[in-house]
This record gives sequence, structure tokens and C-alpha cells, in this order.
Amino acid sequence: MQRSSKFLLKVGAGIGYFILVVAAVVSLLPLHWVFATALQLHDEVISHVPPLVPRVALEYIPKVLSGDGEGASQLLYDSLENLRILFTRTDMVRWFLNSLIVSTSATVTILFLDSLAAYAFAKKQFPGRDLLFWIMISTMMIPGHVTLVPMFRIIAVLGLRDNLLGVILPDIAMVFGVFLLRQFMRTIPTELLDAAKIDGASEFGIYSRVMLPLAKPGIATLGILTFNATWNSFLWPLIVLNKSQVMTLQVGLKTLLDRNLVDYGMQMSGAAVAAFPVIIVFLFFQGYFVKGLTLGSLKG
Amino acid sequence: MKPRFLLVTTICVALLLALSTTVLGGAWKGTITIWDCPRWRDANDNQYHWMERKIAEFESSHPGVKIEMIKVPWAELAEKLNIAIAARDWPDMAPIDISGGTVKLDHIDQGVLEPIDPFFPKDELADFFPAALEGYTYKGKIWGVPQAMTVHALLLNLDIFKERGVEPPENGRWTWDEFVEKMKKLTFDRDGDGKIDVYGFSTYVLKGYHEIFPMLFMDGATWFDEARNWNLNTPEAVSALKKIAALKFEHKVTPQTMGTADVGGTFQAFANPEQRTVAVEPWASWAIATCLTSPKYKMNFMVAEYPIGKRGKPITISGTGGFVVFKQKDKGKLETLMEFVKSITTTADQLEFAKNYGTFPARKSAQEADPFADTPQMAFAAKMMEYTISVPRHKEFMQIDDRLQAELQLVFNGEKTPEQALEDAHRAIKRYLK
Amino acid sequence: MGLQKILQDIARHKWDYLFVLPKFAVFVAFIGVPVAWSVFISFQEFGVFQTRWVGLDNFRVAFEDDLFLIALKNTVWYALIVMPANVLIALVLASLIFPLSRKAQTFFRAAFYLPTVTSAVVIAMAWKYIYQPDVGLLNAFLRMLGASGRNWLGQSSTAMWSVIMMSILTPPGVGIIMYLAAMGSIPNEIYEAATVDGASGFQKWWRITVPLLKPTTLYLVVLGTIGSFQVFSQIMIMTRGGPGHATKVLVYLIYETAFRDMEFGLAGAYSLMLFAIIMVFAFIQFKYLNVNLEYY
Repeated sequence: MQRSSKFLLKVGAGIGYFILVVAAVVSLLPLHWVFATALQLHDEVISHVPPLVPRVALEYIPKVLSGDGEGASQLLYDSLENLRILFTRTDMVRWFLNSLIVSTSATVTILFLDSLAAYAFAKKQFPGRDLLFWIMISTMMIPGHVTLVPMFRIIAVLGLRDNLLGVILPDIAMVFGVFLLRQFMRTIPTELLDAAKIDGASEFGIYSRVMLPLAKPGIATLGILTFNATWNSFLWPLIVLNKSQVMTLQVGLKTLLDRNLVDYGMQMSGAAVAAFPVIIVFLFFQGYFVKGLTLGSLKG
Repeated sequence: MKPRFLLVTTICVALLLALSTTVLGGAWKGTITIWDCPRWRDANDNQYHWMERKIAEFESSHPGVKIEMIKVPWAELAEKLNIAIAARDWPDMAPIDISGGTVKLDHIDQGVLEPIDPFFPKDELADFFPAALEGYTYKGKIWGVPQAMTVHALLLNLDIFKERGVEPPENGRWTWDEFVEKMKKLTFDRDGDGKIDVYGFSTYVLKGYHEIFPMLFMDGATWFDEARNWNLNTPEAVSALKKIAALKFEHKVTPQTMGTADVGGTFQAFANPEQRTVAVEPWASWAIATCLTSPKYKMNFMVAEYPIGKRGKPITISGTGGFVVFKQKDKGKLETLMEFVKSITTTADQLEFAKNYGTFPARKSAQEADPFADTPQMAFAAKMMEYTISVPRHKEFMQIDDRLQAELQLVFNGEKTPEQALEDAHRAIKRYLK
Repeated sequence: MGLQKILQDIARHKWDYLFVLPKFAVFVAFIGVPVAWSVFISFQEFGVFQTRWVGLDNFRVAFEDDLFLIALKNTVWYALIVMPANVLIALVLASLIFPLSRKAQTFFRAAFYLPTVTSAVVIAMAWKYIYQPDVGLLNAFLRMLGASGRNWLGQSSTAMWSVIMMSILTPPGVGIIMYLAAMGSIPNEIYEAATVDGASGFQKWWRITVPLLKPTTLYLVVLGTIGSFQVFSQIMIMTRGGPGHATKVLVYLIYETAFRDMEFGLAGAYSLMLFAIIMVFAFIQFKYLNVNLEYY
């Protein structure tokens, strides 16, 4: 009895592992495919039996080892052709910089404004506090597209079309951060703040020198989630940005699809360049992503 | 006392000088924003080189004027322009064809465009073909400067015709039955693996593109009849659509992707030396230029008419391309702008377009220079201009086109019968026909 | 008297208000005003230089034209399949990951979350290429098995299913992580008690884990519904609503109506109705998945 259940447990664990591995392969295949295609040679891209691993990955090191240094570097040169075309024939560098500007400035501003507001909402008593908070939070349920048209009119009136500010400003208005930081700050003992007050710290001083350092993990989490979300945002920048020179990466990527002569090698190179930074950020700060999700949930 | 007097005098003189340069000198200074779309490629694969050169020329002859070009892919032009108009933040000039619905006639009514008549005296207009001017005429005024006409025609890969021993149509003219017979012979298994891999015919069905429409019109229907009633639900339209659908479902002379593929994929299948798996495809005339001159797509081909149906004579679709100027507040700027538009629509420019871009000149003087002496394919397509119709002038053409093409797609998906699709299309567009 | 008291209150709490003010101002300008305005817009007809009140005309057109109903049908289909599939997959995968070692947990969590941090545009571009009929991976795979390929996104019979498959096969990273966190907070004693009672592993999972995860499930169901009702990027990149109207979903319809056809009023009416529908769904879900929150 005991033994058979142990056996069953082992079989169960084996099956479970198998399912997980298959699911992980399915999960990562499209991304792998983006990067693989970006490095494929032209004849590999258009072949009817696409190679799962680009030739350069298979043959580069053997070529070097067998002393065919010239052949190896030629292969490497050829497989970077897609990226070279991408960077020389499109505004990829501009798009990348624009995305960086949008994401960085939106993130920094959001962190500052949201932490200020969240601090007041979490730790202060003032008339109208709950009302203001709930007005803001209730709009979290309203899907963004509802406001697409009026938002566009506002941006147009302000003359912010084809301007990165037109993308950044609506991002800054998002209330998720206030909610998330308030949840986090509520867990910080009020006594610490009171102690600083007794020591004669100013109101802003309490915020900047006591609250901010204590709330660092929450702020880091929000920062990373915000950076990720703004980097990936698509619909709104698509509407606001017309000129190629001001486009963000995601919008620029779409223009690669609209060309008459389809070039998958170049498209996937673009996708790879767009995906690369977020993947790096994620791998380095994985813990913060996890924390952000669990903090932002309804319980708490 | 004295210093003050000096100061006042200096200011007055300065003001006078400034005034005289702006008002008396007359030359407007400032920035002009224009949109342009990709044209033919130069050696560096740059598709905007023509406009860049024209801008440089204009700027050097007009000191103080700066022209900024925004590059817009053709596929995004309509959407982007509509957004810009809604934001009241339009460019000063754009390459718009007012009959295609890219800019709505409604917008012209609302005063978004500038008429060009005041800047083009009669004798200057006399150099343009009436058909080209007609393309920009609305409510008695001309709303753009025509640069070029395009026409749709069939492109035939003569290598495949030869491979199968099929005679191309004599003088490029054939009846529908002859066409179907030849398509059957051109559909075959090239590599001998038992599967068909070369097909007679293919095209796509996409909003904004009308390659398939001359076929739809072969039995006598067009979009609207003379009384402006919707015409594409008539028996003539249904019978034509049935015949086209039969190419795919009955005769099986098209690849499975016919009617469902995209523009790029369809062109690659025809012209990419690595593919070339379709013998005949309909294209707008730019493709003729590409297959003639592009190092990558150069091929042995001829141009033929669309097959003749019950209409009894060939028909095709043509369009007029050119430039429109948007509403200006500053008169000086408007004048400079018109000067610029004139400078990019000269006889020489139209000749250059004709030779490189696969279009037909809108100016008689350019046509008289015989741009197609060395290119029989273009010369043939030019002759097809005799029996063309153009896209109808309708306020909601863009939506009508969208709804109609959505239904046509379903026919080639095998999901709706031609009758059903054309009936549903009529129902869907009723709202716009009012 | 009243006013004076309010002013006094404000003066006394001026720092508190100052802290909240910047965020609130941006919020009002870019969320508050647009939300209020969006209601007005749906009763207007837009013109370049002037707008006209048209009463309920836009709503009438929305119902007379079958596009709205088609898009609604497509969206509901998408949501009804993708949302439950995602929640279920998240639950299963999280349950499989949870007993693993810390290292293995971290690995799988990363593997499943990576596609979520990558933008929908990139993922959709990758899948569009995978579905491509001539050089796509899927057809190459099918040809290897001897089957013949299809034009997945070009046929209206398969287009929507292809988009749905993509959404299902892109793992629900958020759900997995939230389930893992929730599982970690279930007290061990509950399981120990069950073991003493002779419950099998599966019984423990079904009788204890799943019910206790209900708040997380509810959260994911509501979030997933809202999210899948707003599907857009995938459609924009892969099919643009076609072929025919096979993949026309509501947000894409709104985009097209507003920013191609410039019928802002009609688009506004669509938006409001979509909002109402989402609210109805969320309400039903709260009601039927009525959770006993005492445990938390």
C-alpha cells in the first residue's frame, strides 16, 4: 500500500515534470523563433523547411575550431545582415531612443507623483481622503479604450500630436501605482513616521527621508512594472505618433509589417531588438515582477 | 536727450527694414510640412530620393523656406491623414487622390483643402489631359495637381507560357473562355512530386485595392449605374463573380491563397526569382515598372488586357495621382506652397515618373515626349487607358469599399456564394448610400 | 461658517492636499475629463470644424448595422474561450510548479512569465510568421507530418481560432505567479490534518487547494474577462479584423470607426456599450463566484 502510493507519486511527479517542460517549450518557442529568424541567412528565412536553429549558431564554433576563421567571420557577417538592414534602412535607432525616453520619463514621474499621493492616502488623515482615493481607484475598472477618442481630442488641442509628451502624459495619469504603493505603505509601521515627526522633520522630509527609503521595495516593483507597461504600450502611441522620427518601438515595428515587399528576416530582427531590453530587465529583476503582481491583487 | 533720440531712430529704421523685407520684398519665409510616400528605389534602396531632390532644389532657389518631409507608407496614408484632419493638424501638402476616398469629399466640403484654380491660369491647365483634371474636379473646382495616371492590367510571365507551350493572347486581348483555357494549361506540377506547384492565376482581395474589380465588371456591372444606383447586386455582377470564383473552386487554376493572401506575398509569388509560381496576375502599373527595371524582379513578361466577358469589350480601372494642398491661413505661405507644387509636377517630373514609376503622364507635353518608346509593356498599358473607368466619387467610398471587399473575401474563402456575398454587401452599405 | 471650516481644514492639512494634488490634477486632466467627455461624444456627430448633437442616433446606427453585433459575437467568443483556458492552465501549471525545488520554481516561473513581459506586438509578429502559409513554422511542421498546410490567418474559418490558439498557448504568466503566491500562504496544518484523515494527493488538491484559491481565481477571472474583452494588438498586427469580418473584435472596431472612418460619435457609442458589457460580466462573476473571504 505504502509502496504503491510512493510509486504513484513518482509517476505523478514525472508526468507533472513532463507537462511543465512541454509547456515551457511551447511558451518560449515564439520568442526563440524571433531571435533565431533574426540571425538566419536569407535562404534560411525563405526556406520551406525553416531551421529551428540558425546556421550561424551551429557552424560558427566548428568553423573557428577547424581553423576556417575567414569562413566563420563571413558567416557571422552574413547572419547579421538582417540587423544591418534594419538599422540602416529604418529609423530603428530613433524608435529605440524614443521608447527609452518615454518609458524612463513616464516611470520616473509616476514614481514621484504616485509615491507622494500614496503616502498621503496611506498614512495621513484628512477630510475627503477616502472620497478622492475611491474616485481614482474606481476608474481602474474602466477600460482604456473608452477614453481613446476624448483623450485624442485633448492631445490634439494641446498640440501634442507627434510629440512624445502626448504619449507620456496619459501614462502618468494611470492610477494603478497609487493603489499599489498605498497597499505597500500601509504595511509600514506608523510609529517610525511619528518618531521622525517628534524629531522635528518637515512634512516633506518625513516623506523623502523616512517613507521613501522604507517603501523602496514597493517603489522598485512599481518602477519595473511601469517601465515594462510603457515600453510595450501600442494602441495609444499608434494613434498619437505619425512621424517616423518620433515613433516608439512598438509603433515602428508595425510599419515594418506594412511594406509591400515582406521581409521576415528584417521584421523578426525588429521584434528581437524590441524584446531584448525587457527580457534583460525581467531576468535581472524577476523578484520585483513577482512582488508587484501579488501586491497589486485585490486582497490586502 | 540725444541718446534717446538715437535709440528711437534706430528702432524705427530697424522696424522699417523688417517690414520692407516681409511686405515689400514679398518672399515668404518659414517651414512647409509635406507628406510623401515611397516611390521607385534608387541605388541605395531609398524610395524617397525624388522628393528629397525636389525639396533641395526648391530650398536653394527660395532662401528662408524650409520644407520638412514626413515619410508615410501608402498603406497608412488614409488612416494617418484622417487622424491628422480630425486633429486639425494637417500637413501643407500630401500625395492624395481625391477619388480614392483617401481624403473624404466631405472634408473638401468642410474646407480642408485649397482649390488650385486661382494659381493655375487656363493656358497652364491646357497642358493637362482632361481626364487627369477630371480626377481632381469636385463641385466645379480643381482640388489638386495631377501628376500621373495609373491603370490596372494583367502581367503575364512569358517564361511559364513558354515552358507549357501556351500561346500568349494575341495583341494582349482574350475572351474569358480563352483565358480560362490558358489558365488550365498553365497550372501544373513542375517538380514532379504529384502536387500542383505552378498556377495560372492569382490575386488578392483587400480594401483599398481594386486589382480584381475589372473582372467583376466584365459582364457589364460597375459600382454604380448612370442614375447613381448601386450596381454590384445585379445579375451581371453575380455572374462575373461566379466566373472568378470558379477559377479557384471549379477550375482550380489558382493557389489556395488566391483572394486571401496579402499584397507582398502575391507579388513575391509572381515576381520573386526564387518563387515565380504564378503565370498571370493583375497589377496596377507600378508593377510593370518594377518588373522592367528592378534588378531583383526583372523578368520576361508582357502586359495584357483583362479578359472580355458579356460586356463585349475590355474594361479596366484607372486612377489619377497627384498632390493636394491643405487649407492655409497665410497667403504668402499658400503662394509659396503652390509654387512648390508646380515645381514638382513639371513635364520633366512627369516624364521621370513615367519612366521609373510605371505611371502615365498627366501632362500632354510629357506624353508627347514619348516616354515608352523602349518599353512596349508600358506602351500597351497606356493604350488601355482608352477603356477605363475610375473609382466613383462618393462621400463614403472608403467604407463602401471596406464592406464590399469584406464580403468578396468571404467568397474566396469558400464561405459565401457570390449571390449571398453581393446581397450582404448591398445590405451592409445601405447606410452609406443614403 | 461652513466655508470657513472647510478652509480651516484645508489649511490644517495643506501638506496632505499638496501631496495628493499633482497626481490628482494629472488624473482629472487625462482620465476624469476624458471619461466624462466620452459620454458626450457618443451623442454627437463629429465634424472637422464643428460638432452636432444627434441624440441617440449613434446608438441606433450601432444596432442597425450588423458590424457591432458581429464584433460583439467575436469578442464574446474570444473571451469565453481564452479566459477560462488561461485560468485553468494557470491553475494546473502553478500546481505542478509549487512542489518543485526553489531553483526549478524560479526557472519555470521565468519561462512562463517571459512572454508576458514581452510586448503583445512582438508576440503577435512572431505568431503571424509562424502561421504564414509558405514559410511559416506551423505549416512546415504539418508538411513534415505529411499533412498539408493551410492559410491559417487568411481563411475566415480558421483566422479567429488561430488568434485564440495563440492567446491560449501564450502562457498566463500573471495567473501562474498569483496562484503560486496564494498557494504559499495556505497554512500547512490544513494539509497535515487531511493527510491524517487519509486523503490522497489529488483529493487534497481538489478539496483543499482549489477551494482556498477561490479569491485568486475570482481575481483572475475578472481580470481575464476585462483583458480579453479588450484584445487589440494581436488583431491589429495579425489580421486587421479580416478576412471578411472574421476577427473583427470590439476594440478593433472602435479603433477603425474612430480613427479610420472618423465617426467619433459612433465609436464613442461602441465604447460605452463595451464598457457596460464588461461591467455586466464582472458583476455576474462576482455574484456567482461569490467567495467566502473569511479565510484571508
